[in-house]
Amino acid sequence: MGVPMADVPSVAGERPGRFSKLLRPVAFMSLPTAVLVALFLVPMGILVYFSFQYGDLTGSSGFTFSNFTDILGDPLYRKIALTTFEIATIAMIAQLIVGIPLAYVLAYKAGRFELPLLLALVLADELNPMVRIYAWRMLLGREGLINDALTSIGLIDQPIDALLFNKFSVIVVLSTSYLTYTVIPIYASMKAVDSGLFEAARDMGAGWFTTFRRVLLPLIAPGIFIALLLVYVPLFTDFAAPTLVGGTTGYMLGNVVSDLVLENGNLNAGAAMSFLMLLAAGIFSLLAYQLSRVKQGAR
Amino acid sequence: MPLSRRLNRALPNVLSTGLVLVVMAILFGPVLLLALFSFNDSTVISLPWEGFTTRWYSEAFNDDGAMHAIWNSVMVASIVTVASLVLGTLAAWGLTRIKFRGRPLVAGVHGAVLVVPWLIIGVAGLIFFSQIEMALSLNTIILMHIVVTFPLVVAVVSAGLIRFDPSLEEAAIDMGASQLQMMRYIVLPQIAPSLAAAAIFAFAWSFNNFEISFFTGGFEQTFPVWVYGVLRHSSNLPVVNAASTVIAMAQVILVFGLWFGMKVLTKKRGGTDRDAAEMITGAVR
Repeated sequence: MGVPMADVPSVAGERPGRFSKLLRPVAFMSLPTAVLVALFLVPMGILVYFSFQYGDLTGSSGFTFSNFTDILGDPLYRKIALTTFEIATIAMIAQLIVGIPLAYVLAYKAGRFELPLLLALVLADELNPMVRIYAWRMLLGREGLINDALTSIGLIDQPIDALLFNKFSVIVVLSTSYLTYTVIPIYASMKAVDSGLFEAARDMGAGWFTTFRRVLLPLIAPGIFIALLLVYVPLFTDFAAPTLVGGTTGYMLGNVVSDLVLENGNLNAGAAMSFLMLLAAGIFSLLAYQLSRVKQGAR
Repeated sequence: MPLSRRLNRALPNVLSTGLVLVVMAILFGPVLLLALFSFNDSTVISLPWEGFTTRWYSEAFNDDGAMHAIWNSVMVASIVTVASLVLGTLAAWGLTRIKFRGRPLVAGVHGAVLVVPWLIIGVAGLIFFSQIEMALSLNTIILMHIVVTFPLVVAVVSAGLIRFDPSLEEAAIDMGASQLQMMRYIVLPQIAPSLAAAAIFAFAWSFNNFEISFFTGGFEQTFPVWVYGVLRHSSNLPVVNAASTVIAMAQVILVFGLWFGMKVLTKKRGGTDRDAAEMITGAVR
């Protein structure tokens, strides 16, 4: 949330109060900045340093690139990276397919239900993610409620195994977990669009699809990019959902990091993997952020 | 009106209602079913319905692991909320009202925290604390939660401050108010709804945070970490049902309560529901 903080408007009406000009920023900013440096920048720096170190049981250690070459050269990791990309991308697309029409309904059609629905979305996000994962597991499992219900009404003889512990269940859980953050930025950008434009488009003979593609979509593009920024990166790095509902085929990069660090105790390899994911996330975020600003500027 | 015309008119409404209903069912249905089955008198969570019971609740309340984890989460989230509100409000004021050198850089770092995945922050925290030889505990969880949560408060409160005209602050100072009086009587009432919203988000972020608690908690478990552990070994599931239902209920009540409070606060100063909605969307814009 609140990513575009860098573009706060310049300060108007600056006035030296009791603090001197030099002391005021120090008084307000020193504590927050110190916390950020000590608990964010320094740990991230150590993480990067660790990713270039090796250490073995004999106690020797030093600089190396091998953590990275090991990861990048390993076909298994490449396969997991591909699975991760596939799961995150499908989940993102699914959310956009549901999220854009939902945002549209919220912004223009919901009327007096607009606020309650918005609140429901916020509430959906506040519900504990572990509880949500657990609820889905209860529904989708071999002895889960969906299979139970289908068997008891005689629609199927055998429980369907394909519902849980694979890519499908990870995609279901992930897309429902982040829908709030997909919908709200798009909704916010739609609220800024003058709905008279649609009538104008219709009067000029445009069908609903043309109106959507040529009028609405360009205007809400910044909102979509913000949604990508907020949702795609967490999707990419999730590891609770794949561990709990992913089985062996839904194993993602987040699981690799978690297993390297906690199961194997290989901090250097775990740090290298984290660093690579951070790079990917950073490049993606910058791109999405730039795109959202370019589109905003064009408006 | 011919039928086709009438259909044409009604179709969009039917579609939008249908869409909303389906999405709500997908978002809340599973959790509602989970709540329902927490009252089912069976050790396995499946049909048929075996009868109503509250025994999973009494078992949950007597489950040391569950209670300890819930207590840990409540305590951590409370401390994190207070600390984040203080740090976040200071920074929001500094970043929106004071001009100083390096402000874009400092604002950028605040924003960066929000886009770095929690998994990576968790791993970084784990390595960091092992390097400075600080034992992993609730304290380390709290520290890492604060650093990822207060920038969110900065975002929400900044959004509130930007919408609020600074000339009122000048007017107060011109009329002889001290800095403190100006903050107390002009600024605080204006940003109170933003602070309430920020408090909801901060508490939920900390309470629901799994990744960071998982990596930096050592042997201490918060509620999400406890559920994760139980689910991994698939034991004691009805108790998880009951405990999860209690937590979900508490979260619903908390969100609605604070939302209601926020609405009252906005209404009191002549705002409308619109303003309240903007509070939510303002932060992401």
